[in-house]
Amino acid sequence: MQGWRTFLRQESTHSRLIGVGALTLVTLAITIILPPVANSDLAGGAAIAVVILGLSWLIGWSGQISLGNSGFMAVGAYAAGVWAHHHATTPLIFTLALATVIGGISGLIIAIPSTRLRGPYLAGLTLAFAAAVTPIAQNFTSITGGEGGIFMNSLTTPGWFGGFFHGVNASINANAQWTADLAVVVAGVAFFFMANLFHSRSGRAMRLVRDNDVAAELMGVNLSRARSSAFMVAAAYAGLGGAMYSLLEASVRPETFPLTLSITLLTLMVLGGIGTLSGAVLGGIIYSFSPDLVSWVNSLTGVNPTSNLGANMQGIIFGLLLILTMLFVPRGLVSIISPLRKLVGSLRARPPASSAAKL
Amino acid sequence: MHNIFGGIAQGVVYALVALSLVIIWQSTHVLNFAQGAMAMFATYIGMTEIDRGLGYWWCVIISVAVGMALGGLTERVLIRPLYGKPEINPIVVMVGFLGVLEALAAAIWTSTTRNIPEPFSQIFYHSQGNLVYLSPFIIFQVILALGIMLVVAALFRFTPLGLQLRASALAPEVSRLLGIRVSRMLTFGWMLSAGVGCIAAVIQASGSFGLFPTDMDGIFVAGFIAAAVGGLESPFGAVCGGLLIGLAEQFILSYWSPNVAPLGGIIILVIALMIRPQGLFTKTAGRRV
Amino acid sequence: MIRVTDLSVNYGAVRALREVSFEAPTGEITAVLGANGAGKTTLLRTISGLVAPKTGEVALDETRLTGVATENIARLGLAHVPEGRGVIAELTVEENLRLGAMAAKVDLAAGLANQYERFPALRDRRRKLCATLSGGERQMLAMARALIAQPRVLLLDEPSLGLAPQITAQLMHTIRDLCASEHLTVILVEQNAKSALRIAHRAVVLHLGRAVASGSAQDIAQDDDLRRYYLGVAVE
Repeated sequence: MQGWRTFLRQESTHSRLIGVGALTLVTLAITIILPPVANSDLAGGAAIAVVILGLSWLIGWSGQISLGNSGFMAVGAYAAGVWAHHHATTPLIFTLALATVIGGISGLIIAIPSTRLRGPYLAGLTLAFAAAVTPIAQNFTSITGGEGGIFMNSLTTPGWFGGFFHGVNASINANAQWTADLAVVVAGVAFFFMANLFHSRSGRAMRLVRDNDVAAELMGVNLSRARSSAFMVAAAYAGLGGAMYSLLEASVRPETFPLTLSITLLTLMVLGGIGTLSGAVLGGIIYSFSPDLVSWVNSLTGVNPTSNLGANMQGIIFGLLLILTMLFVPRGLVSIISPLRKLVGSLRARPPASSAAKL
Repeated sequence: MHNIFGGIAQGVVYALVALSLVIIWQSTHVLNFAQGAMAMFATYIGMTEIDRGLGYWWCVIISVAVGMALGGLTERVLIRPLYGKPEINPIVVMVGFLGVLEALAAAIWTSTTRNIPEPFSQIFYHSQGNLVYLSPFIIFQVILALGIMLVVAALFRFTPLGLQLRASALAPEVSRLLGIRVSRMLTFGWMLSAGVGCIAAVIQASGSFGLFPTDMDGIFVAGFIAAAVGGLESPFGAVCGGLLIGLAEQFILSYWSPNVAPLGGIIILVIALMIRPQGLFTKTAGRRV
Repeated sequence: MIRVTDLSVNYGAVRALREVSFEAPTGEITAVLGANGAGKTTLLRTISGLVAPKTGEVALDETRLTGVATENIARLGLAHVPEGRGVIAELTVEENLRLGAMAAKVDLAAGLANQYERFPALRDRRRKLCATLSGGERQMLAMARALIAQPRVLLLDEPSLGLAPQITAQLMHTIRDLCASEHLTVILVEQNAKSALRIAHRAVVLHLGRAVASGSAQDIAQDDDLRRYYLGVAVE
């Protein structure tokens, strides 16, 4: 057999479809084994992974930084929330698509100025956006429901699915697994589209824009269009992730998307691996496990979770992680894993892979 | 707009943050995204000294000293390893630092707002029987901000130290070839910038609103926008920008709604971009020839 | 005197300098010649401490320079005018000169007066931003800025780059006169071998990182094989 790794590295939609499909199926299988709590963590992780995918596209491939994705998550979340509140019977797909589109459009807020701002200025603008979201959400109560937020019906598990579960906690298990499975499937689809984007002509143009914008311009790439479209893609993905996130919680409130969430997103992306697809997945996984991570650190250091210190441990840990990763492992965990992979591959003395596809 | 002076008072805080960003930009060409958080943290330390019975001015001195030390340490430990790497790296590290400081502050001192007793009266004047929202404290703030601005501008323009700071940021390699201790200049730039930022946080804490751990987020954003709009090369522009944003917020507060006041900065930014569509400092012109 | 011994420098996998050794005697002009990429600029940057060598030593008279920080090497009296001149465009002419004098603890007023006397064109433009200067003026400024510190050693990296032939000729004269009057040790990197060899006392030829020849300038100039393979120039 040629080796599925080599197969995956080939640049064809087909192989990507199979690759992503396989990954999704494996994850779905895992949800069967996991207890309900873990499943809902996983679902949250899937939502976050979607957001990070968009962020990776933006930062890793076009070189721009955004601290504002918590804001776009909020936009998608509120879009989904407002719609679902008034039209409870709409199919889920529609609500999610709506959130994605609205998220993408709101990306224009940053995308248009982004053509004129660079580096730190752009980062500052995204920061301003993220910081402004909570006050706006708190203020425009007619749309957003103000402090109280919006409540939505929780996702209903279809009867045929619930039929697979028996026993005492059947419905809890069924619900948790259904939401996790939905989240994983949606994330898988999003992942597939992003993988295609990475390897498309736009993706390659992006890399040019990031590395050498003079060269890119000479080759006919419209710089401002490239940059602003990158923001819109990131915003769309963030909107989708935000909608997923709030649907899982069945509510959306102003405090759900604070600035610190943007920092967390950044940390997860950097940890996983800037600008890589697998990095985004890793980031989502780490997010799923972050409550466990925090409690592990708490037990290690003897911190009482209910104390002041305990309540803020997540912020401290994630902030520290971001700093340490940036200083010591700036390319993220992926950079540790892929040399390992290459090492294993070289031991088998196979001819080199066809191209450097970063999957 | 009935509370112009309130806008000016808040604008002073923004102006000082903007000034600190101008300092750090002029001396290092790096922007410290954790500036607000560092200032907040140092001020908290100063505030705990007040609990022990020290006077207001001691609190200020301690806060500024701690802030400067923190700034210098940050440059040495966190930023030094990143020179020569992509310019988003220090931004990301500082964002992480921001998260740590805010969480740590909340952990140590809780998230409740804290105040320090102000040195000058905050009671408003009366003029012809009407309340004028001006108090001695506000006058003090404005004088302080203008004074610091003049000192900083003079430092960079006229002193040998200022020249070395500017050169170290503009052309570090060439400066080293001329015998200038560039790394010391960079550390000093961070310390100076942190010191000025701390003054902003101390004023905020002495004001009627007090200080809480995430307070400086909005203030940093406003200061950042002020610096960007007013000019990262110009202390005067930064101060003007800060005051402008403070006034804009006051305007929104009076005629629209208090909750949306934080948008003042964003509105100014958008207007600035519209007036100067060629962008804010997008020139990447070669610096050395 | 500057003594370079077995100097090897790597940029990652690229070996920029391979065991280069030579001496630049005190008070003389030593030309460093070679094609593009031969390692000439790397050599100067290693001497002034911007680049750390893998192996080898650099010494200024009895003082070891290897491993010393660039700013300290400068303070020992070594002035390096880098490739492209390194004039800080955002500052004025006078500010650039002041910078030059800062670390050297020389009398600023006297230093400025001296340089303005030597380069009157600079005095006329002292308050102008350097971005407005022409190539020749920038070269003058770079030299003045280096000289104001009263250095013992002067490293010049392609000073004639981008300058018209007449100005280059003038420049070379100036370098020769300065070397004589200030008793400077000059290491002159030039692609324009002809002009360099006219004023140099000694010469070193680099090719792909190696020193392939060194000797008196006259000998190097008259060696036809060298001229053809390493200099690519027919010297009249």
